[in-house]
Amino acid sequence: MEVKINTQDSVTTAQLIGRLDTPASQEISGDFDNLTQFAAGTVILDCTQLQYISSSGLRLFLSLRKAAASKGGKVIVKAINNEIRSVFMMTGFLNLFEIQD
Amino acid sequence: MKQKSLSTRLSIWIVLFAGFIFIAALGVFFNESRKAVRLEAINHATQILDNTVQRVTNILTEVKVATDNTDWLIKRHLDAPDSMFVYSRRILENNPNLNGCSISFEPFFFKDKGMYFSAFSLNTNGQINTIQEGNEYYQYFSMDWYQLPKLLDRPCWTEPFVDYNPEGITSQDMIISYCKPLKDDNGKYFGTISVDLSLEWLSKTISAVKPYPNSYSIMIGQGGTFFVHPDTTKLFYETIFTPTLVKSDTAITNLGHAMQAGEQGMRQLNINDEECYVFFKPLGDTGWSVGLVCPALDIFGGYYHLINAIIGIVIVGLLLMLMVFSGIISKQMEPLEELAYQAEAIASGRFDEELPKSDHTDEIGKLNNSFRDMQQSIVHQMEELKLVNEQKGRIQGELKIARDIQMAMLPKIFPPYPERDDIDVFGQLTPAKEVGGDLFDFFIRDEKLFFCIGDVSGKGVPASLYMVVTKALFRTISAHESSPEKIISRINDAMSEDNDSNMFVTLFVGVLDLPTGRMHYCNAGHDAPILIGNTGAGLLPVDSNLPVGVMANWKFTLQETLIDPDTTIFLYTDGLPEAENINHDQFEMNRTIDLAHNLQQNRVFSPTAIIERMTSAVHEFVGEADQSDDLTMLAIQYTKHHEEIKYQRTLTLTNDLKRVPRLNTFIDEVCEANGFDMSSTMQINLAIEEAVVNVMNYAYPAGTVGNVTIEVKSNGSEVSFIIIDSGTPFDPTAKPEVDITLSAEDRSIGGLGIHLIRQIMDHINYERVNGRNVLTLIKKISK
Repeated sequence: MEVKINTQDSVTTAQLIGRLDTPASQEISGDFDNLTQFAAGTVILDCTQLQYISSSGLRLFLSLRKAAASKGGKVIVKAINNEIRSVFMMTGFLNLFEIQD
Repeated sequence: MKQKSLSTRLSIWIVLFAGFIFIAALGVFFNESRKAVRLEAINHATQILDNTVQRVTNILTEVKVATDNTDWLIKRHLDAPDSMFVYSRRILENNPNLNGCSISFEPFFFKDKGMYFSAFSLNTNGQINTIQEGNEYYQYFSMDWYQLPKLLDRPCWTEPFVDYNPEGITSQDMIISYCKPLKDDNGKYFGTISVDLSLEWLSKTISAVKPYPNSYSIMIGQGGTFFVHPDTTKLFYETIFTPTLVKSDTAITNLGHAMQAGEQGMRQLNINDEECYVFFKPLGDTGWSVGLVCPALDIFGGYYHLINAIIGIVIVGLLLMLMVFSGIISKQMEPLEELAYQAEAIASGRFDEELPKSDHTDEIGKLNNSFRDMQQSIVHQMEELKLVNEQKGRIQGELKIARDIQMAMLPKIFPPYPERDDIDVFGQLTPAKEVGGDLFDFFIRDEKLFFCIGDVSGKGVPASLYMVVTKALFRTISAHESSPEKIISRINDAMSEDNDSNMFVTLFVGVLDLPTGRMHYCNAGHDAPILIGNTGAGLLPVDSNLPVGVMANWKFTLQETLIDPDTTIFLYTDGLPEAENINHDQFEMNRTIDLAHNLQQNRVFSPTAIIERMTSAVHEFVGEADQSDDLTMLAIQYTKHHEEIKYQRTLTLTNDLKRVPRLNTFIDEVCEANGFDMSSTMQINLAIEEAVVNVMNYAYPAGTVGNVTIEVKSNGSEVSFIIIDSGTPFDPTAKPEVDITLSAEDRSIGGLGIHLIRQIMDHINYERVNGRNVLTLIKKISK
């Protein structure tokens, strides 16, 4: 699992690459802590290369979303595959995040 | 026929009674007064008769005395025949009542007087003429009056006769004569002195006094000939016996004989068809008899008149009395009549009919006022009754709605699980009243059948309220609590709190794990269920514990058993064994058990059939009696499916998160082998990972090593993932659901795992078996 964070102006883009299973969530939790620093602005989670997400991964997404909400920023989830979309649907995350194709 | 009014009837009775008294009194009065009148009449008539007879006798005596006085003068002066005229004349002069007097001598008694010498004086209306009577045409010595005393040789009275005188100076009147023989000193007869009395005059004298207007006197001679009679045609021609010649009449005959015999007395008889009283008395030594005939009508005339007057007065009086009484009573009854009219109006339903208040203080007034009070009371009661009925109707309506609501709360779709082949349930509740205190419920969660049956103490509305609360609590608590004793404990705690009315519920809660047939149950004072299975029928052993609601914090005991496949669990409330027939005999538990045995022997396991048979047996037993208690039955048939395992794999991992990719690989392989697509494979991976990571994180104390085993079984239509660990008991299915509709701020970070598992898998089931947590997740293979 790999996370590439790229910040331009107030927009921070995090490229999530690989399977975000439970161990991977632990692995990248530090990256998400970093991302919260940019939560006052716009954080784009680029899921083009994200194959899988577990509930631990969802928890990371939700924590970031909460941080953004408290700082007045926003989180955009970009290019999720159909499998992850259905998980988002099951968990109600579709309503919490701005989804971009 | 119209009934006469009360006043008329009352008056008629009074008048009848008064009439009866009058009749009795008058009867006595009439009888006595008639006797008195009769006696008075007899006395009166007798006295008059006596007087009459006395007067006549006096006259006759006078005649005799005059005759006797003259007798010696004649004898003394036989030497002077002409002096006889003087004597004859003197008798008449001295006795004005006499009609005539003759002193007659035998032929040639006086030589110088020739053959005939009779000195005769006649009183004609006070004018006395004296003549010499007797000549060749009137040979007096051949007459009766002359011959009779001569022959009898004593003085006597002649029968009446007409004095015949060819010279025409004698009277044509009827006369009677007192004749006395004249005899010289030697006793030789030489002539007759005769003194005449006018019969008409005598008759007048006799008839002079009339005691009654129509009374009359008679006098008969010795032969019964009438000498005196008002009907002069009868004189001398008829006797007293004449009427008996035409028609025999012993009364008249007797009277005639008595009078002839010289008796004195009175006879009552009919003369010319008229009732008469005849008083009679002999007239001196004449042999004649004087009678006084008094018609009874005359005697009793006044009396009859009086009777008629009195009867008239009585009748008029009674009629007046009838009218007056009728009027008075009618007047007095007027208020009563009015009351009766109004009572009729009230009776016909017009309860608002105004009754006047009576000022009378008598019984009628009291009755009127009592009735008025009664009417007001009735009106009041009617209004209350109406109100009560309205309320009752409303309550009935509400009760019906309550019943509908209560019934709607019970499971009512049977069979409830037509798609399942491992379980069938049927339940039935029959309340004794509109609403009842019995309850039953069941549902399947996570491949477990949760069921309960209960009976609230008492019946009716109070019981139904507790029933509703109990059922709601059961549903709420068992939604995330899978252990029966905990479910009951929590219901008990909730119900014991503020249980002022001391109601309680006997409750049986069972949780049947459908994959394994393992049943956990807890009994709170309820009747033990009956198990009807392949090998027999019998009661499920239960701890009685306490009913729910009696004591908070009571430790309810958990029991466990394994239900063999094809066994039916029959649950019921005490309405079944305690169903009463008309003699108050109870159905009893032994009948229930016997019937269960009977059903078992006949291989009847279907819940519907068992409950139908039980119901009909109870109905047959109860008969016509009213249902005494709510009756509820619940039957659960368990049939464990014997699945054919086509695919099986097992993976055991330590509680190390680093082993998760191994798990993912394993799941990917399993999914591929069972034909799941990419999307499903990822979702299944997600669900299994959540469950396994949960065990890895929490089942074992931190720092200790434990295993988690994943068994995968497939029968071709569905795949079971069984996650087993031997760690701390933990039931993930008991976790509350997360609310995915909340906003990001409100949503908690945790709880998503079990939510995802429920979303992804078709069935989820947790069991604690032999110290191990067994979580079964089932996913159907979509074709």
